[in-house]
Amino acid sequence: MAHDARKRTLSTRMSLLDVKTAPYLYIAPFFIVWAITGLFPLLYTAYISTRKWDLLQGDLGPAGLSNFTFVLAQPGFWQALRNTFSIFLLSSVPQIITALFLAAVLDANLRAKTFWRMGVLIPYVVAPVAVSLIFTEIFSDRSGMANALLANIGVSPIGWHADTLPSHLAIATMVNYRWTGYNTLILLAAMQSISTDVIEAAVVDGAVRLKTYWYVILPLLRPTVIFVIITSTIGGLQIFDEPRMFDLTTIGGSNGNFMTVTMYLYNTGWGPQLNMGRASAVAMLLLAVILLVALFNLILSSRISSVDNPSGRHGPGRKTGVR
Amino acid sequence: MTKRRERREHGIRRPGWLTYLVLVVAILIAVYPLYYTFLLSSSSQIEIAKHPIPGLIPQGNLLSNLTRVFHTEGLDFWGAFINSVMVAVIQSASVAIFSTLAGFAFAKLRFHGRRGLLAFIVATMAVPPQLGVVPLFIVMAKLGWTGQLVAVIVPGLVSAFGVFWMTQYLSGALPYELVEAARVDGCSMFASFRHVALPAARPAAAMLFLFTFVTSWTTYFWPSIVLGSQNPTLPVALQLLQTGYAKDMSLIMSGVLLSTLPLLVLFLVVGRQLVSGIMAGAVKG
Amino acid sequence: MRIPRWRVAIAPACALLLIATGCSSNSGSGDATTGGSVNLTVATFNEFGYTDDLFAQFTKTHPNVKITQKKVAQSADAKTNLFTKLAAGSGLSDIEAVDGDWLPQVKQSADKFVNLSSDTTKDRWPDWVVSQATTTSGELLGDATDIGPEATCYRKDLFEKAGLPTDRDGVAQLLSGDWDHYFDVGKQFVSKVPGVGWYDSAGAVFNARVQQLANPFSSTKPTETVIPLDQNTQIKDLYNSTLTASVDNKLSAGLGQWSGDWQKAFQNGAFATMQCPAWMQPIIKTNASGVTSWDIANVFPGGAGNWGGSYLTVPKQGKHTKEAQELAEWLTSPDVQVQIFLSAGNFPASKAGAADSKVLAATNEFFNNAPTGKIFSARAAAVTTQPFKGPNYFTINTVLGEAIGRVDVDKSANAADSWNKAVADAKAQVK
Repeated sequence: MAHDARKRTLSTRMSLLDVKTAPYLYIAPFFIVWAITGLFPLLYTAYISTRKWDLLQGDLGPAGLSNFTFVLAQPGFWQALRNTFSIFLLSSVPQIITALFLAAVLDANLRAKTFWRMGVLIPYVVAPVAVSLIFTEIFSDRSGMANALLANIGVSPIGWHADTLPSHLAIATMVNYRWTGYNTLILLAAMQSISTDVIEAAVVDGAVRLKTYWYVILPLLRPTVIFVIITSTIGGLQIFDEPRMFDLTTIGGSNGNFMTVTMYLYNTGWGPQLNMGRASAVAMLLLAVILLVALFNLILSSRISSVDNPSGRHGPGRKTGVR
Repeated sequence: MTKRRERREHGIRRPGWLTYLVLVVAILIAVYPLYYTFLLSSSSQIEIAKHPIPGLIPQGNLLSNLTRVFHTEGLDFWGAFINSVMVAVIQSASVAIFSTLAGFAFAKLRFHGRRGLLAFIVATMAVPPQLGVVPLFIVMAKLGWTGQLVAVIVPGLVSAFGVFWMTQYLSGALPYELVEAARVDGCSMFASFRHVALPAARPAAAMLFLFTFVTSWTTYFWPSIVLGSQNPTLPVALQLLQTGYAKDMSLIMSGVLLSTLPLLVLFLVVGRQLVSGIMAGAVKG
Repeated sequence: MRIPRWRVAIAPACALLLIATGCSSNSGSGDATTGGSVNLTVATFNEFGYTDDLFAQFTKTHPNVKITQKKVAQSADAKTNLFTKLAAGSGLSDIEAVDGDWLPQVKQSADKFVNLSSDTTKDRWPDWVVSQATTTSGELLGDATDIGPEATCYRKDLFEKAGLPTDRDGVAQLLSGDWDHYFDVGKQFVSKVPGVGWYDSAGAVFNARVQQLANPFSSTKPTETVIPLDQNTQIKDLYNSTLTASVDNKLSAGLGQWSGDWQKAFQNGAFATMQCPAWMQPIIKTNASGVTSWDIANVFPGGAGNWGGSYLTVPKQGKHTKEAQELAEWLTSPDVQVQIFLSAGNFPASKAGAADSKVLAATNEFFNNAPTGKIFSARAAAVTTQPFKGPNYFTINTVLGEAIGRVDVDKSANAADSWNKAVADAKAQVK
């Protein structure tokens, strides 16, 4: 009897311990590896940004905020920030809209659906460097396929490298090529996980297809849409490979017309100046910008998907929504 | 256990020809650049320079170009291939497992600091990666790992992206009721993870596996710094195709083709299961 | 995944960066290993021509040494690699090959490299080669491997079309003189053969002219005192005359060197001449494969010039710096340099190597059997000076290269506006 009671308390206690500690155990592996390979580099960068730090000579003394004020006073930094945003908008906006559209199409009751689904994901297996090589070849100013095709229909050649907007378009094309199918599949996976009951209920309600999509499916996709938007934002604002590969003889074009913030950062740290202090300051500024934009996107996307959400009618959806 | 049933597609009627037209266009766009790579690798330096728009029919130099890749001095294709497979398999498995665990915790368990920690993980993705290289190299040197495959594998064992992905997926796909039901049934936390979360997470974890695999496979910069040419992964080995200042596009594109091919094969074999798995395995609430 | 995490990020992967230098060829070997107990690693980029067989010659007399080569394809990747590991304080090879263009930056961290001055290598190289790698306090940081003496490459068929002499000696005579003379002949050429450039790129011409000045961007030796660009009349004149000839007189084909357009232009006969350092031969050969009319003349506008060249350094990080220095000295010895010239084509930096009878006897089949050994030897002997390259040399040179590119290649600005932007850019970036 007493033995029994003790056993029960023990098991209750164990269970309580289990409930308390299990979540931390589950997230521990991430944080342990990350502390070494992520946190340390981050803190190191934050520290260096307040120092006069030459890449090769190391620490040359405290700098206060001078690295930040210097960078903020550079027209080149602001130009890089503008370029980054321009390329980001040209890539992520059409990309997400196309992905949502394609996902909706693929969600239909298609024949040979596996074939179509795999087809759109094919660009994703091409390495970013290879994508850059391919499109750089296509967008060569004089000998490229894009201008040759344009010439066939009587359009005069476009300065894909020389001019600001065309160069942004060319780079955005590389990004869109590789990532649209990927985002499509992510959204599709989420769509597929939505209960058919919900949709059938909406159809019974008489909601037309587009309306069903807008009012029923989209709000339920919210966690995934947020995921896609946030990751696209972070990836887009950190864009480096594509513009770097687009022209290897200059750093972002001879006008700096497609120099992005990460290229600016790289050039400050590893370029002629070898100024790691300033490069770290650029990194911290970029971090702040990305967090701001991500937060803004998060708020915006929660707004959009909750505004017209007839949540009363489709209760189950709300419950399975984001945290 | 989760309620599973045969996947039904959204929409009851079969779609019309317009839908298929849209898809055909999308797939042509997706495939052409890859086909373009194939056209260039079957061509020659001279032909490429003379014809900016390659003809749609491949030329006869593919085999000789591929042979040139294999015979490039110092390029050990198979050694690099095996290294790449090891890195990619270990990282993808690890990321899929740990992300599912953490994603389950963040999505469905209540614990102190949950929201803060998740926000923190997402914020870590925003750290510009370029600057991490020097401190990370210092860490690897202290551990004595430089030049070894482990230095490439370890930093990729977990991924903030993966955690975020699984969290978002599970918060949508796994109803609270199921988790609570499992708890009431007396499942331990781990048992409820295994019996409830794992089946629900499977399609997303499989996608994460594939995505991580592709990322590992195509990563160039860090392996090139920490491994060098003696013990390279595939992208590091293939850069030897561009030694010198004259680049022969037909040779380089053959290298691109060779490094993409294994992924395409994997994708055709696994991807088919995967893509249909996403559809079949999705859990309904 | 969507996020280019740090591992993916900085991938200046494929292709060519930097107007740098180097040596390239199609032979050689990758990772070479030979037996022993002292392990030496040699990090190279592009093509240094180091092979197993070559290392075996060294290990035969040094049986305790084992040599491994680490190769990186692109000099830009090699630079990032070198600087990252210097910054991290570990991970470098026992011998690190360095491009002459990075030396100014390496010199700022002289304390991280072994001083290589020794009696063995005394008088091995011309003074201008040694001075590039010597710090203000007299330490020698690198043993020179190869140099890039410049000749003029030209296309016979295009010269013929314009009614100009086509044989090497005739062309050498025709072009002998200063840059204005070179431009004048160019004007004749483009009037006869419209639509074809006299040369490929204004940037290459400008670069070659800068290389002929002792103090292009700074006023004094040995410490650098940068002349603000807006007060640097010498450079401004050079900039203006180069662009007038290139753009107004249409002498330039308007191609950015190393770009895809530039490479393809070799197949399409877009220009008639090129400034041609020794290491450019294999590049032209690859890009222009199938074109039979390229030749080389023993002449260079403005006298002589050198473009590029590499050095072997010994970082102090290494465990066997003494043995490493010995190996570096051996690898840069005239005898070994001649062997490499014959196998890989890199022109010997040493005086004895450049004058070796085997070097002098060399010809290049692609360039219609031109006696390239004799030509480049003569061009090397004519070089007497190199610009003083301080810590800011590379910054200013890059800014000006971009300024020229805006006008010549992109056509996105006129010469005056582009100059003003360069002045502002230089102001922002000079330390």
